[in-house]
Amino acid sequence: MLLAAAVAAAEVVVDAHEPDDTVPAAVTMDFVPPPAGSYALHAIMPAPDGPVLDPDGRRLPLSRFTAGKITLLGFVYTSCADARGCPLAYQVFRTVRHRAAEDAELRDHVRLVSLSFDPARDRPAVMRHYAAGAPPNGVEWAFLTTDRPRTLVPLLDGFGQDVRIEVDAHDRPTGPFAHVLKVFLLDERAIVREIYTTAYLFPEVIMNDIKTLRLEHRLQRKVVR
Amino acid sequence: MHGNRLRAARAGVIAGLLALAGVAALPATADETCNSPYMGNLIKGQEDYLYVWALGVKGTGDGSDKLVTIDVNPASSRYGKVLNKVSVRGQGEAHHMGFTDDRRYLWAGGLDSSRISIFDVGSDPARPKLVRTMSDMPAKTGYVGPHTFYAMPGRMIVQGLSNTTDGGGVTGMALYSNKGELIAKYPMPTTGGGDGYGYDVAINPQQNVLLTSSFTGRKNYMRALGDLIKDAEAMKRFGSTMVVWDLKAMKPKKILSVPGAPLEIRWSLKDGDSWAITASALTSKLWLVKPDASGEWQAKEVAVIGDPAKVPLPVDISINKDGTGLWVNTFMDGKTRYFDLSNPEQPKQTYERVTGKQVNMISQSWDGTRVYIASSLLANWDKGGADDEQFVRGFSWDGKELKPAFEVDFYKEKLGRAHHMKLGSKAMKTAYGLERSATLR
Repeated sequence: MLLAAAVAAAEVVVDAHEPDDTVPAAVTMDFVPPPAGSYALHAIMPAPDGPVLDPDGRRLPLSRFTAGKITLLGFVYTSCADARGCPLAYQVFRTVRHRAAEDAELRDHVRLVSLSFDPARDRPAVMRHYAAGAPPNGVEWAFLTTDRPRTLVPLLDGFGQDVRIEVDAHDRPTGPFAHVLKVFLLDERAIVREIYTTAYLFPEVIMNDIKTLRLEHRLQRKVVR
Repeated sequence: MHGNRLRAARAGVIAGLLALAGVAALPATADETCNSPYMGNLIKGQEDYLYVWALGVKGTGDGSDKLVTIDVNPASSRYGKVLNKVSVRGQGEAHHMGFTDDRRYLWAGGLDSSRISIFDVGSDPARPKLVRTMSDMPAKTGYVGPHTFYAMPGRMIVQGLSNTTDGGGVTGMALYSNKGELIAKYPMPTTGGGDGYGYDVAINPQQNVLLTSSFTGRKNYMRALGDLIKDAEAMKRFGSTMVVWDLKAMKPKKILSVPGAPLEIRWSLKDGDSWAITASALTSKLWLVKPDASGEWQAKEVAVIGDPAKVPLPVDISINKDGTGLWVNTFMDGKTRYFDLSNPEQPKQTYERVTGKQVNMISQSWDGTRVYIASSLLANWDKGGADDEQFVRGFSWDGKELKPAFEVDFYKEKLGRAHHMKLGSKAMKTAYGLERSATLR
């Protein structure tokens, strides 16, 4: 019920004119992606599960946000300032969400998840504030965090999302943490089907991949019938 | 016993996580000039370690293939010394290796055993640990001789050299998850001009292109070189193609004719460039691969390496970070050559030096001022007698001269034959590795 309330709040159709921001991609997309359905997206691995906190501080299993819809999931931290990191992912998420909202076939079958890997700073209230920048448009976008590093680590590890730290000669942390931006595309069964990084984070490719998974889903249903 | 360490680990990780406000996403561009563009955590400063995948030699040390870690930081008291070695038990023709995209693990292959050894280099970069051995590639894919290990996000492409059916050169690529699960396999094309052979893999995400090259099958690469070159029929069984793949679809788009076994592939790392270069071993030429004015991918020879009639046998190449220069090692004459690539259509050799009696692999630091050279090509192709030097040599490069900096004699140190090299740094440690360990306790 709690989840239903959270989802309902996020799915109210309000903004039909969300700007489709032109994002300066980390690298130029110098190709026409193959059409949706003309290629296979292999099952890479099942998404991990574990407790997360929604913006209201409710403790829920991550699987409530990864199964049942095609899900685009990325790790973020609200204070990230690297233009090629979280802000890039955020803009790409906005673009994908806007395009999915405009597609009647996709709108109800796509979800976005931004999961913080800064549990110390990104408390639920901070995530709620962060989420305010993405007004509802009919496509669910969940902003989640965890209660502590020990809860976060198995999720990072399960997705294969690295976070690194620079150390000095005495093994003491010296500088900021670093991570390689990764965005995960999950099918309705919460299986990771594609992983994007800065070098390949193109909304056109992501949209084609989402459509490919939808085509696959419809084909499977047809076969079952 | 673990109490203090555990507390320290927790404190370090939690302190680090508190510092996440300063987290920076590292650009996912190419690694120390010749790795996957999906690899992060580039070592753009001084590298600390050189990982060397060495072939075991019977009667030398434990005789097994091993991963050797050498201290290559000139500021270290152990500069040029062996810090660590990890044997994998047995000789499997250790050859190439590659980091996972997060640089936490190093996958290393055996061309004879088809075994893949996975080392954890993230937990303690000075002391890699063997954490997994995979031996099922032939059974699961039909491919033999895992050669190139090329990182994709969360995955590893493994290019085979041969097959289980006839030991010839027809092979394919296997795609694994970083956890070691087989995801898919992709046969090299055998129609439309394809010879089905494989060797190296290199990706240009901007162009959605995966480029492959071609070598030879197990029956050839495990045969003594002296015998092989006398066998005219066997010498016909070398690759003569490169394949342009649609990366997203993982389907061959175009097959390029590149006679003479095109080996290592290097994309220019300069922003906006969309060309790659390779060297054909048997014909001793440099080939440029790029789209023509109509967008069609083409390969054309752009330079000769040494005197092709003398078969200098170009082997490894290393491109610099801005695509303006290329190192080329030629095995037979033991030379290391530098080509000016300012105009990639017309590479010009500007320097050469004999760096060993036989030289194969070459790697450079990100800034190009440090160059590392290893000696071994294949166990049965290496020279004999006094010419069979086995070493890793470090050089400095000032743009004019390669100057010797250190040497590790792999026979004297009882390490075997020195083959592929990768750089490591103690400045990058897996932040959550310690916390994960704490979680598991």
